[in-house]
Amino acid sequence: MSGLRLRLKSAPVGRLDLSCLQPTVLAAETAANVARMPFEGGSLGDLFEISAIAEVDTLIIAGTTAACDGIGDHLKSGTIVVEGDAGSYAGRFMKGGRLDIRGSAGNYLGSGMKGGLITVGGSVGNFVGAMTPGEKFGMAGGVIRVGGDIGERAGDRMRRGTIVVKGKTGAAAGSRMAGGTIWAEGGFGPAAGTLMRRGTLIGPKAEQMLATFSDCGEHDMVFLRLISRFVAAELGPLAPAALPARVRRYAGDMATIGKGELLLTG
Amino acid sequence: MTGSQNMTVNGVAIDDTFAEAFGMSGTALIITADSQKWANIAATTMTGFGTSVIGCGAECGIDCEVPASETPDGRPGVRVLIFGFSPDAILPQLKNRVGQCVLTSPGSACYNGLESAQRLALSAGPRFFGDGWQMSKRFGGRRFWRVPVMDGEFTIEDTVGVTTDAVGGGNLLILGRDRVGLLETTETAVAAINTLPDVITPFPGGIVRSGSKVGSKYKGAVASTNNAFCPTLRGTTKTELDPDTIAVLEIVIDGLTSKAVSDAMRVGLKAVTDIGAAKGVTRVSAGNYGGKLGQHHYHLKDYVA
Repeated sequence: MSGLRLRLKSAPVGRLDLSCLQPTVLAAETAANVARMPFEGGSLGDLFEISAIAEVDTLIIAGTTAACDGIGDHLKSGTIVVEGDAGSYAGRFMKGGRLDIRGSAGNYLGSGMKGGLITVGGSVGNFVGAMTPGEKFGMAGGVIRVGGDIGERAGDRMRRGTIVVKGKTGAAAGSRMAGGTIWAEGGFGPAAGTLMRRGTLIGPKAEQMLATFSDCGEHDMVFLRLISRFVAAELGPLAPAALPARVRRYAGDMATIGKGELLLTG
Repeated sequence: MTGSQNMTVNGVAIDDTFAEAFGMSGTALIITADSQKWANIAATTMTGFGTSVIGCGAECGIDCEVPASETPDGRPGVRVLIFGFSPDAILPQLKNRVGQCVLTSPGSACYNGLESAQRLALSAGPRFFGDGWQMSKRFGGRRFWRVPVMDGEFTIEDTVGVTTDAVGGGNLLILGRDRVGLLETTETAVAAINTLPDVITPFPGGIVRSGSKVGSKYKGAVASTNNAFCPTLRGTTKTELDPDTIAVLEIVIDGLTSKAVSDAMRVGLKAVTDIGAAKGVTRVSAGNYGGKLGQHHYHLKDYVA
């Protein structure tokens, strides 16, 4: 089945929840039928110019702004390409497929995500791959790649999965982390790994490292090769350069069980 | 002599008989290390004492060296195969062999080497050596354990694929009138078989000199010497040997698939007949139990071009 291109006719004046736009569901319909689908008190055709495209199981959403929330929510398969910015909760609870955001994204990108791939060309707000209040864990699988920087508390209560950031993270990346990996090519902001229990933070430097991280020395670990190859396979040309043979390992947060780690490559 | 011989290739008689082999379970591991030398050491050690499932608990061997470009961690590696009666029977062998021989080997890591829906818990055992400091990392669909050891970390994959379609006991019996020439010819056949994927020849150097029959005059012994193929007993017992035969060597072949064993039979037989009678080989036969025990029959005549 072919895909669809939905172009916003005008920038939304308030928050716009686009979580209902699923490529595999919409691909089963013609552009005319999709235009008649009810949406926000009217129909999708009221808000979007809709046209068919050749790419299979692909949904292109164009003209979006930071007010467009929930793009790719619960995405299971297919591809969503966002030609513009995305608001909050993009890729939330995503289980598979691919979400490519050409612009920037808001808070809670990939929150509760379990599988699939999210790429963001620009920067992202706070709580990437994190849990929302009341939930037990954040991201539990899949890969997020951010081309710019990310905000605070990335990976909060993250359990599994991989976040790769070309820029740097905000404060307290990996807070309360229970597993998974955050690889920040530009390094970590202050207080990385606050109350981290397990998991891995990788970067060239960390600002204001917590005193509750213990220096374990420089080591070459086979695991570094595995993650380098995995990320290269997942991200292709977007992947960072392979990790060096040796990294400096800090174990923490010793204020909890201390089975997490901060690996400094610089 | 009772073997029916109706073919001769390059001076070597080929019996009109078949190798009788059995369904088994099999698994494969990729062992890597800092160098090919140390990957080979770990693999050789963990496949040791793995000639016969009867006495060793498993039949093990090195399938091939794996170039660094093809291993999960980009280091030189070795693929080893392990065969047993069932997946449940292989599991304790994995635990012991990996725990005692791979975990202990400097710089080693251990990964799944067989894609299969049915899995064995490869890390169950070795990872607990970490005493609570072991860490799990999942990349894509694969989960790995990092176990702290004295030279850094031992990395081991969580599970390994296992197949119940494996075959054990493919075989060639090679007879000759010159023991040294026979050994050299059989070595060449083993080397040819070892170039094939998914098969091993689990006995020392791939060769058995003590072929067995089922049962014994002694209580408790499940197998005993195959007196019909013992040249020094010719004249004293029923024999399968020609008057000029002074030695018999056997190649036992285990494979992850029946086709792999069949291909090995073909390649092994061809290697023998290519040398021919020049080094004293007179005949090739195969071991069977009348076709009543093993599900897989490999007829030598099918492998003669």
